[in-house]
Amino acid sequence: MKTIAIAGKGGTGKSTLAALIIRWLSERKSRSILAVDADSNVNLNDLLGVRLKETIGAIREEMRTRISDLPGGMTKQQFLEYKIQTSLVEGPDFDLVAMGRPEGPGCYCYANNLLQDILRTLAGNYDYVVIDNEAGMEHLSRRTSQVIDYLLVVSDATTRGIATAGRISRLLKELETRIGRRYLVLNRVSGPLPGPVEAAIREENFALLAAIPEDAALLKMDGEGIPIRSMAADSPAQLAVGRMMDGLNL
Amino acid sequence: MSRIIATRAIRGAHKLVARAERELEAAVAEKGPDTRVEFPNTGYYLPISHGILGLRIETLGGLRDLLAEAKGLLPPVPSDTLWLPYLGNTLDAGMATLFADEIIEAIKYTRTPLPYLPETNPRDGHLWLGAANDVIMRERGIEFVDNTAPGFAACVGYCPTNEIAVRIARELQEKNLYVFMSAATDGKSMAQQLAEEGIEMGWETRLVPFGDDVTATIHALGFSTRVALSFGGAQPGDYQRVLRYNKNRVFAFVLALGPVDDEKHAQAAGAINYGFPTIADTDIDNILPTGICTYEHVVSPVPHDRIVSKAIEVRGLKISVTKVPIPVPFGPAFQGERIRKEDMYVELAGTDKHGFEYLHGTSMEEVEDGKVEVIGPEIDEVAEGSQLPLALWIEVAGRQMQPDFEPILERRVHDFMNMAHGVFHMGQRDINWVRISKEAKDKGFRFEHFGSIIHAKLHGEFGKIVDKVQVKIYTQEKEVMDRIDTARKAYRQRDERLAGLTDEAVETFYSCTLCQSFAPNHVCVITPERSGLCGAYNWLDGKAAHQINPTGPNQPILKAQAVDPVRGQWQGINEFVFNASHKTLPVFSAYSIIDNPMTSCGCFECISCVLPSTNGIMTVYRNFPGMTPSGMKFSTLAGTVGGGLQTPGFIGHSKRYVASNKFISAEGGAKRIVWMNRELKEELEPELRRIGRSEGIESFIEMIADETVAVTEEEVLAYITRMNHPALSMPPLF
Repeated sequence: MKTIAIAGKGGTGKSTLAALIIRWLSERKSRSILAVDADSNVNLNDLLGVRLKETIGAIREEMRTRISDLPGGMTKQQFLEYKIQTSLVEGPDFDLVAMGRPEGPGCYCYANNLLQDILRTLAGNYDYVVIDNEAGMEHLSRRTSQVIDYLLVVSDATTRGIATAGRISRLLKELETRIGRRYLVLNRVSGPLPGPVEAAIREENFALLAAIPEDAALLKMDGEGIPIRSMAADSPAQLAVGRMMDGLNL
Repeated sequence: MSRIIATRAIRGAHKLVARAERELEAAVAEKGPDTRVEFPNTGYYLPISHGILGLRIETLGGLRDLLAEAKGLLPPVPSDTLWLPYLGNTLDAGMATLFADEIIEAIKYTRTPLPYLPETNPRDGHLWLGAANDVIMRERGIEFVDNTAPGFAACVGYCPTNEIAVRIARELQEKNLYVFMSAATDGKSMAQQLAEEGIEMGWETRLVPFGDDVTATIHALGFSTRVALSFGGAQPGDYQRVLRYNKNRVFAFVLALGPVDDEKHAQAAGAINYGFPTIADTDIDNILPTGICTYEHVVSPVPHDRIVSKAIEVRGLKISVTKVPIPVPFGPAFQGERIRKEDMYVELAGTDKHGFEYLHGTSMEEVEDGKVEVIGPEIDEVAEGSQLPLALWIEVAGRQMQPDFEPILERRVHDFMNMAHGVFHMGQRDINWVRISKEAKDKGFRFEHFGSIIHAKLHGEFGKIVDKVQVKIYTQEKEVMDRIDTARKAYRQRDERLAGLTDEAVETFYSCTLCQSFAPNHVCVITPERSGLCGAYNWLDGKAAHQINPTGPNQPILKAQAVDPVRGQWQGINEFVFNASHKTLPVFSAYSIIDNPMTSCGCFECISCVLPSTNGIMTVYRNFPGMTPSGMKFSTLAGTVGGGLQTPGFIGHSKRYVASNKFISAEGGAKRIVWMNRELKEELEPELRRIGRSEGIESFIEMIADETVAVTEEEVLAYITRMNHPALSMPPLF
């Protein structure tokens, strides 16, 4: 199993990149893919063209508020496992699990501990796990104990964007041991990178993996709510993602 | 005691002893008293006289000593007016029979040519093998010890047809039992019937023809006597140990086929001495339990199609299935495997179809062990990607089975099914979901294999409770729906039973001394309302564990007279704890944290301890790494409370116990909790809210401090004072 986590500030096109990666993996590598939508503004499923069932967040709330009479004399662990397994969206080329809305007030340590276990076991069933994270990286730091083979931090090609990407990357400092390699991916790039941007990348000590070009087809699809799968395989963004993925040792 | 059986057995014994005397005197007259007698290539003299009496008979003359013993044991034949003969006399007659048998068989070995083949397998039309030599004994006897062969069936007489003889032999072989054949009736024997059907016989196929004489039956008992001597460590002459070893370790029985004459009755009486019961296909009356055999001694008449399973049941033989007979790999390594939709051949139950799994106990007669039926389409009769309903209807029977064990067995179905590679199982009861992969289907996995898995694993893990398992697998909507209400009703009843299971409702608690290897003086007392402190064992588990291993760490303890019902002290419990704690704990309170509280090993899920200034207690779960208001972290606390010492003010316990009505009820219960680590508080939130409501304190859970608001005792006191926590107005703890 190889795990690819995608992080970045909201609006940088993380989910789009995740969807493009999933498409590339399913066409080139394996259809044994678990897509994890860990962004609370859930939309990875739209990009992938599947309907969500229950989210993990909703399941967690149900378990938290449910009185001890869990059905069937189940333990909480069993109940959670059953619910998560049934909530999995089974797409044509991948399975999708959505983390759903963030935690409400109160402590979630207990529920999250159970989740960690179950998700780790679940992920073990797949050749690839692709995680689309929210900006705060809550999911990575608290809800999984997943080892990340590749962390891709997404940014637009601006100095401010790269500084933010640097901050996000540093947020994960304590996860150092669980992250194999980290890269910067620039999205919606038009033309060559300006000098200050290149300087910012050096300053943040980032390894630039790829610059994905602005792609009109993507924008159009996003607007019309058409899944990535229906996009031409030779669109500039998809081709760039392909080159980027070829560069990773998968 | 059956008068018919006793009379016929004693009469048979008289006939055989007389015959032994006749043949012995003739042989001595013909060959002289110094003629050597032995069963060739055996180091154990003549096994019965050596094992039971300690005799070392090497000559024809020496056999006279054995004859004298036989005669000494012979009781008089019961008169017609004795209606209730004593079993002891019959047993003596049986033993005399065995001695007579051994004399007669030993004399046969002085003849030339030998009446028996010295080889391990019959050849050239010579059927009879006689006594096993030491090579065979070593090789085969060990199988009786390591349970590759649980025992043998001594088959005497013949079957009505050859076909039945073959069927019975096959059925016995399938159970890994040896089939020892002897004692023809009217010149007909089971071994001959098998030979006529071209069945290969000999030690290698476990179908062993000893001899056509009724006395050749002795080679079966001689064999098991030698097993006791060489593997059971019994000394020659220590007959008690030889017999007890056989009763407890060698699962043998006699199948009496066809007419049973006096001499065969006498053999049966001899076998009972070894704890081997007799099952007959003709009506020869019954000897029901009286204590020599594990269960009944003689059962008849039993139809041929049920005779093997009846014999296994009566002998108390536990069938173990070492290899689960399915065409895919099986083991714990495959648990946690999800079958993705793309890899899936078929899906059962789940969110789109109905399903349930229900295990219940029923009578021995209604269960045919190993029977698996699929009612509705099999996997190869449905298209790829199909969704089907599923009912797993599991019926078990066992002499030790109780309704309380049903949920314990049933909840393991999930683990068992997931061990099969290519099978994905979720949930339990009427929330279940199963998928089978294409790969498993291609390898030949069928729905019926659910039954094979459940059968094998239930026998393997619950063999002491379960004697028979049969499984019906329904894959049709109507069939499933016809039964789902029965199952749901049973689930409800179980839940009600569990809810109604209070300490007052039972007479017996269970001990757990599993942890005495770490804490030699520690004893857990498991009550319906207080599970073991590790959280792993509740009262029902203790009860089941005791059935599985009666001499194990979970023993029933009779409560007896209550000494102090408030603190939870009973005479019976105190006595047990005193002894089991090696006389270190004379008094034990089940419900108090202050007075003689329960000790702990080191496996507790939680520790509760008194915070004196708050008039309350704190409870911390073992995962919590931080400092607690007691001034100690969990690890330090564990050192204080563990090790089997009674430490007033400290207890180790399970998480669940906090929610019990008996949680430190002597001190007022969970209302005393003033601090909990947050994760534990959150997990137990529904229970704590319930407790609060029942105490009329709606916001009780909010009154309990946690590490986010208080880490010292002072801070806890300040917090609970602000919150007006009920502990403050409760009677002083000390």
